[in-house]
Amino acid sequence: MARNRPDWLPRALAALLILTLLAPVFGWAAGQVGYAEPLENAAEATGATEHATAVGTALFPDYGVPGFGGATGTFVSAVVGTALTLLFGAGIGRLLGADTDGRQ
Amino acid sequence: MHIPDGYIDLPLALLFGALAVVVLSVAAKRVNGEISDARAPLLGVVAASIFAAQMLDWPIPGGTSAHFVGGAFAAILLGPHLGALCVATVVTIQALVFGDGGLVVLGANVFNMAVVEVYVGYAIYRLLVPYGEFRAAFVAGWLGITAGALTAALQLGLSSAFQYQLLTTLSIMGVGHLVLGLIEGAITASVYRYLARARPDLRPNAAPEVSA
Repeated sequence: MARNRPDWLPRALAALLILTLLAPVFGWAAGQVGYAEPLENAAEATGATEHATAVGTALFPDYGVPGFGGATGTFVSAVVGTALTLLFGAGIGRLLGADTDGRQ
Repeated sequence: MHIPDGYIDLPLALLFGALAVVVLSVAAKRVNGEISDARAPLLGVVAASIFAAQMLDWPIPGGTSAHFVGGAFAAILLGPHLGALCVATVVTIQALVFGDGGLVVLGANVFNMAVVEVYVGYAIYRLLVPYGEFRAAFVAGWLGITAGALTAALQLGLSSAFQYQLLTTLSIMGVGHLVLGLIEGAITASVYRYLARARPDLRPNAAPEVSA
């Protein structure tokens, strides 16, 4: 990535950092009004909520970190998730990238 | 819109998982070898932005909250095929690392958010772009997320956990996301307009190799 690093990358990474810092704030604010999405409302209306199961164990369940408080856990989850998607997304982009050896 | 395990009957989960694999395979084939070195990091940055933006739950007085999903945004900025791969990456990491969305139903969640929302959003954008990019991006974000939600409602309403109450799931999720989708549309259009003005070189027509 370093050999052709685009000039917009540092600003994009700074924007990502700001978003991760905002995650705990928005999480707290959403908690103040109660968190319910239409999917949850549909599940409640049809009595499906009791059928929800968890297959496997997530490392950061519900975007939290066991042993950490809500805001800290949310921030750590935001940083880890953002970094992982950045790496995997860029990796996929690189895998699907043009063949610079002249295959094209 | 992330469906947990147990909500969708197994045959439906497998069917939509297979459909997602087929569409994403075709998408990967369509863009394989066509992304320049300079644009490769953009896929990662857009994916990471969508992940981080999805963690921002916008509180709405009255007991609900909404968050950006980003399918139409990814499609407009990256083109539909890369957009689908981008959102699929986000949804997969959310399920595997954070338990947001089930593992058995991962394919269905990918289908709803990375296939339906991305391709429907992109089709709407292309249809409306002659009337203005901002308007087109807004409607694409708005109706793209609604289409994804309706597909999820279809899967849920045809499953035993929801007692096959298809009309109930379609109405609650359809109307809910039709309203919440206005926020999705506003964010999609605003961020795209900002990027289009600040960095026109990132627009799809500036890099036709990642467009449809």
